[in-house]
Amino acid sequence: MIKKSTQISFEKVGKSYSQGKTVIEAFDLTVFQGDFVSLIGPSGCGKSTILKLVAGLTPITEGNLKVDSKSPKNARAAMAFIFQEATLLPWLTVTNNIQVPLRLLHWGKSKREEVANQLIELVGLSSVKNYYPRQLSGGMQMRVSIARALTLSPKLLLLDEPFGALDEMARDHLNEELLAIRTQEDWTALFVTHSVPEAVFLSSRIIILSANPGRLYKTIPINFPYPRKPELRETLEYQQAVADVSHHLRSVER
Amino acid sequence: MNNRLYWALPLITGFLMIGIWYGIKWTNDLPHYILPSPDEIMRAGFAEKDILFKAARETIVGAVIGFLSAGSIGFALALILSSSPWIKASLYPWVLFLQMIPVIVMVPIFILWLGPGLPSVAIITFMIGFFPIVANTTQGLISTEKNMVDLFILYNASKPQEIFFLRVPYALPYFLTGLKIAASLAVIGALTGEIFAGSASGSGGLGFMVVIYNSQLKIPELFATAIVACALGFIFVSIVLVLSWYLLRHWHESIAQKNS
Repeated sequence: MIKKSTQISFEKVGKSYSQGKTVIEAFDLTVFQGDFVSLIGPSGCGKSTILKLVAGLTPITEGNLKVDSKSPKNARAAMAFIFQEATLLPWLTVTNNIQVPLRLLHWGKSKREEVANQLIELVGLSSVKNYYPRQLSGGMQMRVSIARALTLSPKLLLLDEPFGALDEMARDHLNEELLAIRTQEDWTALFVTHSVPEAVFLSSRIIILSANPGRLYKTIPINFPYPRKPELRETLEYQQAVADVSHHLRSVER
Repeated sequence: MNNRLYWALPLITGFLMIGIWYGIKWTNDLPHYILPSPDEIMRAGFAEKDILFKAARETIVGAVIGFLSAGSIGFALALILSSSPWIKASLYPWVLFLQMIPVIVMVPIFILWLGPGLPSVAIITFMIGFFPIVANTTQGLISTEKNMVDLFILYNASKPQEIFFLRVPYALPYFLTGLKIAASLAVIGALTGEIFAGSASGSGGLGFMVVIYNSQLKIPELFATAIVACALGFIFVSIVLVLSWYLLRHWHESIAQKNS
């Protein structure tokens, strides 16, 4: 097997705020290219903070964090962030929202539209491309958000509970779509979630964190081969993996 | 409520109020210089229509200049205030403090500095409309959703991009709210200015006519002036409401809901 190159490396990373509260302590993690890593844990375990550290939205206070062998801020060009809310600009149509990253880079109109049209097709929103966000359902808004994140063909996708606000049906659908998209665009994912079934369905590896301060508690590899089909959810092995992760999660919450 | 009732109810209320008006006048036998009847006011208004029309035009000029400068300078100051927490901390308390100054007290001071006439009238209108615009717009600019700002940071957006592509559109509904308040105050501001400072060249705006009619005890004409001022204010606010509808019609809940 070819050794995969390192995408993100945390070495004894700590994060505390000036008020003295330590959010993350001695956190070690290596994410390889092509990994789909989920972070799961009780509230207060700093999972969202870990994403913010990778994005360089807040600095680490201890240890060493490299993304693509660069500092987080310098690696931004290769990453995209998907927030818990769709975070669309309400005054822009679907297609214009998707073009925001390209407009910030001063791309020309025709090139922007070409990219946007491809992505709109990819996430299945062609019929609503000129709608405004308020006219869309939560699931559709999240698709726009995903399409926007993919405009610059990122190598690393950071997802902060993107489907947490959706109902279970919409969530399952988007999970499947996310994996389908990933077969075409080969990005690494760091995914924060509250949902064990979701984490098991999506991930190649699940990281369970303990809280106060956030620490790595356990790493669980999920070895189902990609591409994964919805039917995976009905298999005994999947159920067993969900039970397994839930068990560890319960022991950390205690 | 059906559509016909929607239009009929205010009309019925209007007729009722006119009826009460006549009732009060006749039962108390009030002369026209205490309480003129609506028909006396209408007749006085028509008799003076050339004068009132000319005065209204002057008031509009003062109100428009004051209103537009309040809008543009207010917007610019809000941009400056929101550009850094340091600037806001050092300036904003003063903005709030200055807002407390009763404009009426400033009127004689402006007349002292600028002399009577249009400049004083415009600056008084400006002062009345300026603060609601600054306060509202600043609020909008600084309350821009954190995640949206993070999104722009992640794409290494420049500061001007963040301001004009994100914060300004985000603050637009707030700015328009400020503008609506300023529009409703603009005519009042201009009139107040004119009452004190409207007599630069012997002719003047509606506020000046208030002074003249009052001194001549032309009370029905005074009422007619009030109605003209009222209509002007209505037009001002309507224009801003139309502008606001036009700019927000696609995306803002307050307006977009009515369309869908």
